Amino acid sequence: MSDIKYWNSIDQLTEDPGFINESNKEFQEEIPVGEFLGNAKLSESTTSRRDFLKFMGFSLGAATLAACETPVTKSIPYVVKPEEVTPGVANFYASAVQRGGNFASILVKTREGRPIFIQPNDRFPAALRGMSPRVNSSVLELYDENRYMVPQKAGANVSWSDLDADVASKLMAIKAKGGNIALVTGSVNGPGAKAAVELFSAAFSVKKEMDSFDEFGEPVGKVTVDAGVTHVQYDAINTNSLAEANSWDFGTNAVPHYRFDKAKTVVSIAADFLGDWGNGASNSIGYAKTRVPSDNGMSRHYQFETNLTRSGSTADVRGAIRPSDVPNAVIALYNAVASKSGAAALAGGKIADDDNNVTAKIASAADDLWASKGNSLVVCGSENSAVQRIINATNQLLGNYGSTITWDQTYNVGLSSSKGMKSLINDMNTGAVDAVIISGVNPCYAVPGFAAALMKVGLKISLADRPDETSSVCDYVAPNHFFLEGWNDYEPITGVFALAQPCIKPLFKTRQAEESLLVWAGSSDDYYTHLKKTWEKELFPKQSNILLAEDFWNTSVQNGVVEIKTALKEGETLVAYRATDLAKVASGIQMTSGTWECQFYFKQSIGDGTQANNPHLQEFPDPISKISWDNYVSMNPSDMNSKGWETRTAQETPANLVNVTVNGVTLQLPVVAVPGQKVGTIGIALGYGREITGPAGKVGKNAYSCLTWNDSSLGYSSSDVSIEDAGATYEIASVQTHHTMMGRKIVNETTYSTYSSVDKNDEKNGWNKDVLLVDAYGKKKSTRELNLWQDHAIEKGHRWGMSIDLNACNACGACVTACHTENNVPVVGKDEIRRTRSMFWLRVDRYFSSDVTKQNADEQGMGVREMYRKMEDPSVYPQVSFQPVMCQHCNHAPCETVCPVAATTHSEEGLNQMAYNRCVGTRYCANNCPYKVRRFNWFNYNTDTMFAEVNPSQNDLMKMVLNPDVVVRSRGVIEKCSFCVQKIQAGKLVAKKEGRPLRDGDVTSACAGACATGAIKFGDLNDDQSAVRSKWSDSRSYHLIEEVGTQPNVAYLTKVRNIDTNA
Amino acid sequence: MRIYHTVIRSLSKSFSAVTLAILISGFALQAQDGEKLFKANCASCHKIDKKLIGPALAGIEDRWESKENLYAWIKNSSDYLKNNSGDSYAQGLFEEYNKSIMTAQALSDAEIDAILAYVANPPASEAPKAEVAQLEGEPSEDYSTYWLLGLAAVLLLVIKVLSDVKHSLKSVEANMKDEKVKASQGFLVAALDWISANKKTTVALMVVILATMSVQGWFVLKDIGVYQGYSPEQPIKFSHKIHAGDNEIDCGYCHHSAYKGKNAGIPSVNVCMNCHAGISEGKVDGPVEIAKIYEAAGWDPEQNAYTKEQKPIKWVRIHNLPDFTYFNHSQHVVVGEQKCQTCHGEVQEFGYPMKQFAPLTMGWCVECHRETEVAMEGNAYYDKIHEELLERYKDKGIEKFSVEHIGGLECAKCHY
Repeated sequence: MSDIKYWNSIDQLTEDPGFINESNKEFQEEIPVGEFLGNAKLSESTTSRRDFLKFMGFSLGAATLAACETPVTKSIPYVVKPEEVTPGVANFYASAVQRGGNFASILVKTREGRPIFIQPNDRFPAALRGMSPRVNSSVLELYDENRYMVPQKAGANVSWSDLDADVASKLMAIKAKGGNIALVTGSVNGPGAKAAVELFSAAFSVKKEMDSFDEFGEPVGKVTVDAGVTHVQYDAINTNSLAEANSWDFGTNAVPHYRFDKAKTVVSIAADFLGDWGNGASNSIGYAKTRVPSDNGMSRHYQFETNLTRSGSTADVRGAIRPSDVPNAVIALYNAVASKSGAAALAGGKIADDDNNVTAKIASAADDLWASKGNSLVVCGSENSAVQRIINATNQLLGNYGSTITWDQTYNVGLSSSKGMKSLINDMNTGAVDAVIISGVNPCYAVPGFAAALMKVGLKISLADRPDETSSVCDYVAPNHFFLEGWNDYEPITGVFALAQPCIKPLFKTRQAEESLLVWAGSSDDYYTHLKKTWEKELFPKQSNILLAEDFWNTSVQNGVVEIKTALKEGETLVAYRATDLAKVASGIQMTSGTWECQFYFKQSIGDGTQANNPHLQEFPDPISKISWDNYVSMNPSDMNSKGWETRTAQETPANLVNVTVNGVTLQLPVVAVPGQKVGTIGIALGYGREITGPAGKVGKNAYSCLTWNDSSLGYSSSDVSIEDAGATYEIASVQTHHTMMGRKIVNETTYSTYSSVDKNDEKNGWNKDVLLVDAYGKKKSTRELNLWQDHAIEKGHRWGMSIDLNACNACGACVTACHTENNVPVVGKDEIRRTRSMFWLRVDRYFSSDVTKQNADEQGMGVREMYRKMEDPSVYPQVSFQPVMCQHCNHAPCETVCPVAATTHSEEGLNQMAYNRCVGTRYCANNCPYKVRRFNWFNYNTDTMFAEVNPSQNDLMKMVLNPDVVVRSRGVIEKCSFCVQKIQAGKLVAKKEGRPLRDGDVTSACAGACATGAIKFGDLNDDQSAVRSKWSDSRSYHLIEEVGTQPNVAYLTKVRNIDTNA
Repeated sequence: MRIYHTVIRSLSKSFSAVTLAILISGFALQAQDGEKLFKANCASCHKIDKKLIGPALAGIEDRWESKENLYAWIKNSSDYLKNNSGDSYAQGLFEEYNKSIMTAQALSDAEIDAILAYVANPPASEAPKAEVAQLEGEPSEDYSTYWLLGLAAVLLLVIKVLSDVKHSLKSVEANMKDEKVKASQGFLVAALDWISANKKTTVALMVVILATMSVQGWFVLKDIGVYQGYSPEQPIKFSHKIHAGDNEIDCGYCHHSAYKGKNAGIPSVNVCMNCHAGISEGKVDGPVEIAKIYEAAGWDPEQNAYTKEQKPIKWVRIHNLPDFTYFNHSQHVVVGEQKCQTCHGEVQEFGYPMKQFAPLTMGWCVECHRETEVAMEGNAYYDKIHEELLERYKDKGIEKFSVEHIGGLECAKCHY
């Protein structure tokens, strides 16, 4: 035996008496046994241990017996069953919605009369059939208990008749004295809705003289107009500056139709056209068509912007610029194009702060634009109409009008007028306005200065459907229906008329806002009759397909849409570009720069803040930062490192709180690292900080309060910014804490030139090589050949599969919210997300590129450790990749083999099945899943009071939104994507009942159905004709982490970037 | 056991019914035809002794001048009114019943005679009533009382044992304190003495008791959540036997959604009223139970109009699958062409209250999925699948495929 003495510590070696004393104790800390037992009160207790055990035994027995009792369930059928309702069978209604500056044509799924799901309306023109998370999750808001249930007068309930009598008499009194009434709404574009507003205006109109102005704001005489009622249309999300520019350049205050599907080169300066510039959801459809590489090539997209947006992330070339450099970039681009066309250059155009090769990128953008002259697009998000006029001039030089920008159809959702809003505030302040009626918008919250001015108005009437900052200060609230409860019409694009129809009887004593206007105007028609009459009068005669007016109306209601192309009349021409003194326009642009600059933006989830109290949207993580449930300052990590702020967003690394002062208003917000954010700038999302809203909506700070009025528009950027450390930390919830792919083939990427010229398996430059593993004999084998397991019989019958085209995906997230609603996925709230317990069945991963790659680390002589360490850091201005990930339904699923109770098994149709009631919650499967898509129910989210504020299934009313075909999972079980097995079964059943083979399209998953760009395809892989099969056989197709041999039923299509390999 | 009882009981019942029928049939042939014709053609609007949609038919022959007129009226009343404007009785009837024309009946004179004969001599309706009353007399089995009694007995026993233990412990304690040995004659001590003397017997006894308890316990536990035979009281004493059995109403008439969706559905009250607007008295309870339908529908039988407030009927649900199980009726009834009776039993034989026939356990579902052959021929959906299955099971020589073979045992067919 060796006499070597091992020791644990210096104390032990030196045989320190204190150590010896301590080491003799089993527990280092004193256990207060004596204290506990010595407690005199305990021995005084009359309850002995035996009594305690007796009670225990009795309660156990009682509980067991009680549990055996049959629960009596009542079954209450209709007295008179509506003919169209069959219990258990869904009905679908075509409808439409326009809120917060966005329009969508929708198909509403109802079960037993309850709307439970919103999907795109497939009868609507395909190119405009957009879907966004805000739209498909809005079905939740119908069941919001926070809504107005009865009309209000000064905060107290009042009957409709009393309210109408009061309001009508007061309005008549105002008319009698020649007073002014202001009607504030979002864009009103439907023929019926417009007619209602006109009827109202006519009823209270007074003739008046007004000043008129020329294009530079000089007064040019007076005109007599119908005053009395001023209709101000204002949405926080708007294209107002563009419409205003067009009113000078084309003589029409409108926005033309931008055809992204025809553009070979797209240049966007500060316009997030996949988000909130124009109709983002529809733009993305046309855009995606040109982004999927085909024989016709692929479009190239340049984006110059401050914050990293989804548009910037999908762009081939992105240049980060300061907000103050936007006009410079616009002028630089114009000059570059002008130099090719021979037009005169404008003064200026030097990018003041260029740390991202922006100048060179603009030059190459101009080259590409010129090369694809007539098939290109230049768009800009500036709120300055002068800047927009230079963009118009650029598009004119490129010959884009008439090809990619068409005036035969205008985009009517952005009728918003900032000028009108500004003058209304002035008029209210001077006391010139006697009554204000506000419908569908919340200006007290979203327009600085409005709230104070409103208080000077004698009669304030709100037509809101739920309490907000504006309605709460109004004298009267005439609550509107939710859009799923009432009739309405829209004309989002000229000639495309959409009808909204009620999908449920109004839940509360509400009334359509337009009907309230009609009632006060003294019309005897209800809004339905009014709409029908207007359509019969205005639209029916314009078409010739349907002979009877009644049929025309019924068909329109059924389809939710009617297209009426009005041919140009004899001698009528479309608007034309009017030559203008561009130098004078350009010289009027004033931009100051600052040390720090701030760009405000709208989040994909929250939008303008209307839908703040929607837990699905609050939980929906930002596509770029992956932060959920929060409002924050985004900043480039390099800036944050220099300040010493925390750039990680993990559970144990809370964010730093900062005091941001913009335009003199200070907000205290956490700061979050977002690579790609222009260095020296910050981004703050608008739409947060709602004060008067439901419990889920009170998140973040109201950044609208920082906005200031420029000439005639609200500036959504500022150079008057200072940031200081607030000296505190703040817990922040992020669903993704790793940001780079660490050199792995997770999102497989290549460039267009490689893709089109090199074989995918090319020895040297192969861009999507087949995964081959080496067996024990050194032979290379595919993962199919080299495996341990017996194959499932998936080649026969159906085999459900999915394909995800990473070129078509722009991370809009409509799939995520669709999945949430369809599958009753619980909302867990910020704190659980922070603890990495999010329940998303489908997530969209976002990866940044890193400066260090395995190749260049070698060249730089970096060691392996240093290399991996540095590969974790994203570049300052990285490339971004998105990847939706759900259960991959592996045919050799690692989860299935480790489940001790066979709760997860494989079906012969290729599904990885999850039997919740069999699951005992070992979570072995989640640990063994290489894709990390299995979610564990840590709590009873549907009953635990901890989640009462966030989880819709807790509230008796909101429960109505749950899908009755999918079980609500209980605590302690794993759940995950099921490939919407309920929809598969339902689709098969329809085919079986009709006695016909299943066709492609009969079965689709919620995510694929919501995907407007067609990035996600779902179907039967054993069907030769299916879309998903053809996508699988595309050369770009690959499987995620294929090398581990899971053989997934989901294929991804390699992301191809249209960039020069040497750039 | 209960099933045998039911079978024997129903057999004996049908035997007596058959005997009765044979006895009657001998002398009531004509009236039988008349009854049939009356029920088929007249009963929806006329009663014999009461006004319904049309007048009461008792004494009809006396009210008409001639039988020919009556024939003509019945065959086509509107023609009759046109041709006989002078018949004040006919015109008066027309006025009295809100100028609604009686539907023309395609009946021969002989058939009308048969009906009139039946109307003149309606059979007494006591016989069937007695039969059903006997049916009603069946004691409904309610286990909860037995359970409570059993529990009380166990509790009493426990209390007795515990008090004995307490008593003997006290005496032991007293003994120890006094250090006196008393010859205690307590029950427990005696029992202990017996046990120490008969150790082997005791062990054997214990083993038997334990084994019996385990087996019993196993069966009791297995039945938790299984509600086979569950037959709760319902707000209306609805009898499937009268409707689906005696009157041969097709199941789908009331439970039509079984062919369309996942729920078979309890019919809404307006479906009941399709017939019960005319049938206000039942065979068993007379007008009492049917009046409850009128109450729910808001129907005023006096005025023949829906004038009152509607009140939905709160039925007690019998078949209740757990939430985590998806079941679709139309899949089984339309595609699988299963008869309702396969899962619900011979419902047309069940009187009130309705009961759950099948255990509705997963084992029961799975067994049927294993055994039931899928009728693939004639359904184009299965064409390709059928070919593939034939190919796949060629070696095993299987040519007929059960639900199991098309994945009917997979978890996600029912659990999602």
